[in-house]
Amino acid sequence: MLAIETRDLRRRFGPTLAVDGVSLSVPRGCVYGFMGRNGAGKTTTLKMLLGLVRPDAGTIRIAGRDALADRLGAARCMGALLEAHGFYAHLSGRENLDLSRSLLGLKRTELDRVLDIVGLTSDAGRRVGGYSLGMRQRLGIARALLGSPQVLILDEPTNGLDPDGIADMREFLRTLPARANATVLLSSHLLGEVEQVADRVGILHQGRLVLQDDLATLRAGQAPQLRLGCDAPDRARSLILGLGLSPDPDSDRITLAPGADVRETARALNCALVEAGIGVHELSPQARSLEAIYRDITALPSPLQQDAA
Amino acid sequence: MIRVLIVELRKLNRSLAAALAIAAPGLIAVFTFFNMLRGKTPQPWDMWMVSAAGIWAFFMLPMSVTALTALIAHMEHGPRTWDHLRALPLPRWTIYAAKILSVFLVLALMSVGVFAFTWAAVKLAVVIKPELAPTGVFDASAYLTALGRMYLAATLVVVIQLWISLRWSSFVPGLVVGIGGTFFAVVATAAKVGVFLPWQMPVNMLATEGWRMQTALGLGFGGGLVLLALMLWHLSRREVL
Repeated sequence: MLAIETRDLRRRFGPTLAVDGVSLSVPRGCVYGFMGRNGAGKTTTLKMLLGLVRPDAGTIRIAGRDALADRLGAARCMGALLEAHGFYAHLSGRENLDLSRSLLGLKRTELDRVLDIVGLTSDAGRRVGGYSLGMRQRLGIARALLGSPQVLILDEPTNGLDPDGIADMREFLRTLPARANATVLLSSHLLGEVEQVADRVGILHQGRLVLQDDLATLRAGQAPQLRLGCDAPDRARSLILGLGLSPDPDSDRITLAPGADVRETARALNCALVEAGIGVHELSPQARSLEAIYRDITALPSPLQQDAA
Repeated sequence: MIRVLIVELRKLNRSLAAALAIAAPGLIAVFTFFNMLRGKTPQPWDMWMVSAAGIWAFFMLPMSVTALTALIAHMEHGPRTWDHLRALPLPRWTIYAAKILSVFLVLALMSVGVFAFTWAAVKLAVVIKPELAPTGVFDASAYLTALGRMYLAATLVVVIQLWISLRWSSFVPGLVVGIGGTFFAVVATAAKVGVFLPWQMPVNMLATEGWRMQTALGLGFGGGLVLLALMLWHLSRREVL
């Protein structure tokens, strides 16, 4: 069963089609990485999921509930950390959380539980105005966790965190579905971070969902690459082309045909280079990063441009 | 709804809005205190209490409503604060209804504050200058009734100011309308049409002509309730982008 399911979501702001036929499918218990450039339509999509913006067309189901017909029912299943936190700076962290707890009608013990999860128990009595960005971020996550929602929507949760904080957050997100029995929709620009925690990704480009797949499937479908370090790159390049391989003009990588035997290709290439008198100091298989996949996809002409053509 | 209202009131804890709620009636009491000490002869209770109520209705009430609504609304105008509130599993109108009820509750406390602080200021001045002890009867119910009428007549101006302050995240529109309305209320004091100006309605509760008081009270309270319904309808349907 899907935790989040949208069908053909569409929303226009004046002449701009911000979201164009987006159909998300987020299975229960997964971390879904939602990516896209600034202005791609991510925030509008998140706002539609949260019931903050009405779609012009399409349907939204959150944990099986029709979010457009039953906003309150869907909202009860969701917790959200939005990019800015919306805290009251004159109140303490605990007081801020307690306001949300009261509005949700939860028991007071819930405060200690979520503060403990994000490691803010000792600082909870301080005014939020004096919190660092990282502490506010953790407080935001604590608020999103109030009531143990089935679906967590986290918009840029690592914003403003230091390297230690990012590592903590990564571990936290990775284990969240199991610990909180929740599905996480994670919107982020940090593709490396998304890659390390997400099970499934969706890439939004100019309002359209141009890719949506499990990360493992996505990687398996990508052409493998070899990384080559050698003494005479220009001579090596001619030789590589002669072998029918495609060296990347901007890097030290060679892209193989999808399904090619990486080990056999590496062995043959090494032999050819050594026989030609070119010293090889590195030849290693490379998994394509999510960033490379993302760049390939978002560099393509957009579907809108294709339509126009 | 009660839960949302309690949360709204808790947000006022240590806020500027709470400081204003004490400062505004306090200033009237301070003025009364020093004004009384300047005197040479005792004056009736009526003079001190009615003049305090007059200052309140004429100037301090409309200005306090302007500031109070701007401060209370501004708490939610931080980045994405509305998003967090509006994404909660609560009917949206309750968020706005709780907001305006909290303004009315604070304003009620301020009105009581005008009465209590002024009484205390007069008593304190008498301790310093016993010869200035006010004459006549201290008619608490009459003063409280006048303040209560001013409070009800201010309904319209409260709704106007809060609606503007909630609609626009900047302080400017609310302040311009509030200061402008108070200015016109002051300069149009003697004009008959002034009674139709929302910012002048509270001070008309001290008018000697019955029609002025009844018109201002009816329009201020009745019009305020109608506008309140429109405000709740508009804000709860509006998308905050």
